Amino acid sequence: MIRTAVITGLGAVSAAGCGRAPLADAFRTSSITLTPVDRSAGYHRLQRSRLAALVGAAELGQWIAPLVARRMSQSSRWAVSAARMALADASLELDPQASNPVAVVMSTAYGAAAVTEKMLRQVQDEGPEAASPALFTESVANAPAAQVALAVRAVGANITVTQRQAGPLIALGTAAQEVIAGRAECALVGSVDELSPLIHSILDRFGALAPADANGHEAARPFDRRRSGFLAGEGATVVVLEEATAARRRGARALAEVDFYGSAFDPQAPRTDWSRDPSTLVESLSRLLERHDAALDDFECVVSGACGSTRGDRLEALVLEGVWGERRLPPVLAPKALTGEHGGGLLAAAVLAAAGAEFGPTPGFREVDPELGLAPFDGSNWVAPGRLLVSCLATGGAAAWAMLTRAGQ
Amino acid sequence: MVVTGCGAVSAWGWGVEPLRQGLRSGRSAIRPTTVFDTRGQRTRVAGEVPPPPVAVVQRIAEWAQLAMADRFALAAADEAVERADLALVGRLAGTFFGGSTAGMLECERYLGRLTGALAGHPRLALLASQQINGPGDAVARHLEVTGPTYTVSSACASGGLAIAAAVESIRRGEVEVAVAGGADSLCLLTYSGFNSLRSVDPEGCRPFRADRAGLSIGEGAGILILESLAGANARGASPLAEILGWGSSCDAHHMTAPHPEGDGAAAAITRALGDAGISPDQVAFINAHGTGTPHNDVSEARAIERVFGARWSRVPVTATKASVGHLLGCSGAIEAVATVLAFLDGAVQPTPGHGPVDPSLGLDLVLDEPRRLAPGSVAVSTSFAFGGANAALVLAAWGDAA
Amino acid sequence: MSETGSTREQVKRLIIEHLNLEGLTPDMIADDDALFGEGLGLDSVDALELVVALEKKWGLRIENQETTRAAFASVAALAAFVDRARANEAQTG
Repeated sequence: MIRTAVITGLGAVSAAGCGRAPLADAFRTSSITLTPVDRSAGYHRLQRSRLAALVGAAELGQWIAPLVARRMSQSSRWAVSAARMALADASLELDPQASNPVAVVMSTAYGAAAVTEKMLRQVQDEGPEAASPALFTESVANAPAAQVALAVRAVGANITVTQRQAGPLIALGTAAQEVIAGRAECALVGSVDELSPLIHSILDRFGALAPADANGHEAARPFDRRRSGFLAGEGATVVVLEEATAARRRGARALAEVDFYGSAFDPQAPRTDWSRDPSTLVESLSRLLERHDAALDDFECVVSGACGSTRGDRLEALVLEGVWGERRLPPVLAPKALTGEHGGGLLAAAVLAAAGAEFGPTPGFREVDPELGLAPFDGSNWVAPGRLLVSCLATGGAAAWAMLTRAGQ
Repeated sequence: MVVTGCGAVSAWGWGVEPLRQGLRSGRSAIRPTTVFDTRGQRTRVAGEVPPPPVAVVQRIAEWAQLAMADRFALAAADEAVERADLALVGRLAGTFFGGSTAGMLECERYLGRLTGALAGHPRLALLASQQINGPGDAVARHLEVTGPTYTVSSACASGGLAIAAAVESIRRGEVEVAVAGGADSLCLLTYSGFNSLRSVDPEGCRPFRADRAGLSIGEGAGILILESLAGANARGASPLAEILGWGSSCDAHHMTAPHPEGDGAAAAITRALGDAGISPDQVAFINAHGTGTPHNDVSEARAIERVFGARWSRVPVTATKASVGHLLGCSGAIEAVATVLAFLDGAVQPTPGHGPVDPSLGLDLVLDEPRRLAPGSVAVSTSFAFGGANAALVLAAWGDAA
Repeated sequence: MSETGSTREQVKRLIIEHLNLEGLTPDMIADDDALFGEGLGLDSVDALELVVALEKKWGLRIENQETTRAAFASVAALAAFVDRARANEAQTG
């Protein structure tokens, strides 16, 4: 019997709000609230980018009791909340008194940056005696995954993937293995990142963020001729992954099936940037599709990790075009234009698209870049895809892809 | 599945050979650290890596731009592929890494300079290696790996989980060869962090001893080259050891304290044995997680009791951390290397430390002299993390070794 | 307000602030309620946090585990401990 993994629930904490619905709305209307990043710590030297897709004051009281949340970092709070939202969305109740055979696989790009910074300042300014034990427990990259496991008593594998932009899909693939191999009855998978002012200031210094234009407008422009950086974002996205037959047996409604996934690496990529040459990744993706007997014509949509960065989007486009060759690419979504980088927006968008949600025009996109010749989805004639390819290319060279299909295909 | 190469960097020095001699000697390499000012800390010691040999520095391009963790990783990777007599270019290969700190030390220097606490300009270049996937990516770049490459950061279980991921990738046919392991360097964050939890032993960790008082942090790297037996045979490689299986779990008990009865730990070990098709009776020794904290050692002893039944107090146990310290995310990796070394030596390494072994734990801790192993021995290596993640690996001596 | 009462108030505020007990006010914590386990439900990490906080606020060093357990039993016990320690400091100067 061939076992497959299906996604039965989605939870999210993002700039759009709490839960699946506000995020789906944001994608449908192509609008999200951006807020100014706090500059009061004095880290910011430049005035290039001021806005980010920040979570802001989120009402998480119904998801975590305040006395439990008190020692958690924002990342942990968001991850636990998103996990509980996903379980509710999946109509799956886990008994917190039992030992639940549930795996937790989370990914993070920056880890516990805000907590780490705070703790290092304590040590630096006041000496090691002033270091807060509670902060230290939250300063590890796996704190959110550990807190999720504690919250729902998940005693299966507990893994935190730290592979930048490729993390969420690698986490998805890893979790799918746990479920398909029967090592876990279900898995909570996702991504969480907190954008601290320090991180924002460093990204800005590196020139990585989309700056304001003459009208003070900041927009990440995926694949656009004038793209000049990405939108910084934060938040948590968690999905519930179950083995298909088991999910059906309990009457779960599946949002999407995970057909296959794979990852690769381009050793030519610079440490903190994307490669100029797509050929290694073109070969890797082609081989992946071949290995899983996936024909290019199968794909009705590509959910791309393009975010507005000059080199990242270029690589994304060239890899897709390198693999598709003469064939016309299906509509390409670029959800990070809306949700920013990081926080799991790509994963959420892919699941929503597979589940039949509607997508509006790609925010920020105005003009095709002649070198790329790729125009992301413009909002017209949206047809919910039966099969889609999710693609994310990380700075430093890693890449991950997955094929999702609408449940019941 | 076999191990055809291994590499290491530890407080004993750069390379597998210094580690092997050091572990065999039963002495500890934990000593006062020079990496940063330890005033105000409860301890002054750590498993600090000594300065590198010139030959190592010369082999690695961009040495000056790399973080310490990157350097450890690359040196160990070079050693591992050399031993495996393997070029990865053109092969279906992947890199599976575990780590906690990456370029955190260098990041601390940046922050210090940025806020004026340290002299010097806060060069952004200091942050280039901050990302936790830095060392793993550096290895993949250096060896020209094009297959799956990622880093797991689940605290002290990272190295074990990374090796497990490599095993699975080979089993699935996703890669033919896997570079699996980890690297971590000393930094103020972790040093101060464990200090704030009062889980450090001021004098140096003494796992499983009656008056043990906590852990000692270490640094370094450990890397294994894994491939299928068929693949190794096809290219005429000679295996160092076999890797039979793995298991993982989560305590879901507390953010810092392990489950007092070792529930999660026992589950990980049991799953690993099941995956390996090995019964507890067949296990010749355990390379324990053995941090030396009062809680961990009890929890681990209880887990061993649960899994090994009647003979639990007669399974030889060794604790590598007593020798080189707790390498955090890298610990599972370097301890897997230490386990392979025990097979090659035909003997379980003694556990350094003074003072009587804690009788309430009931374990057969290998002391003073290496303990001989029969040929074809099987071992379990355990890693139990801060936050509750647990990993266990089952390895076996190759052929007539051990 | 008596010296002891004032210390109890300060201890309660210290606990609330350093342990992030949002939504709690000093009058919601009874002087004799258990701090750990049942009662306020603090754990070992909270204990360590409090030790750091006590040192920062009053310069008290708490090294002995036994001392900690007894002193941290309740707000009343902790306030008494703080008063004694500060009185000792004042004497030895």
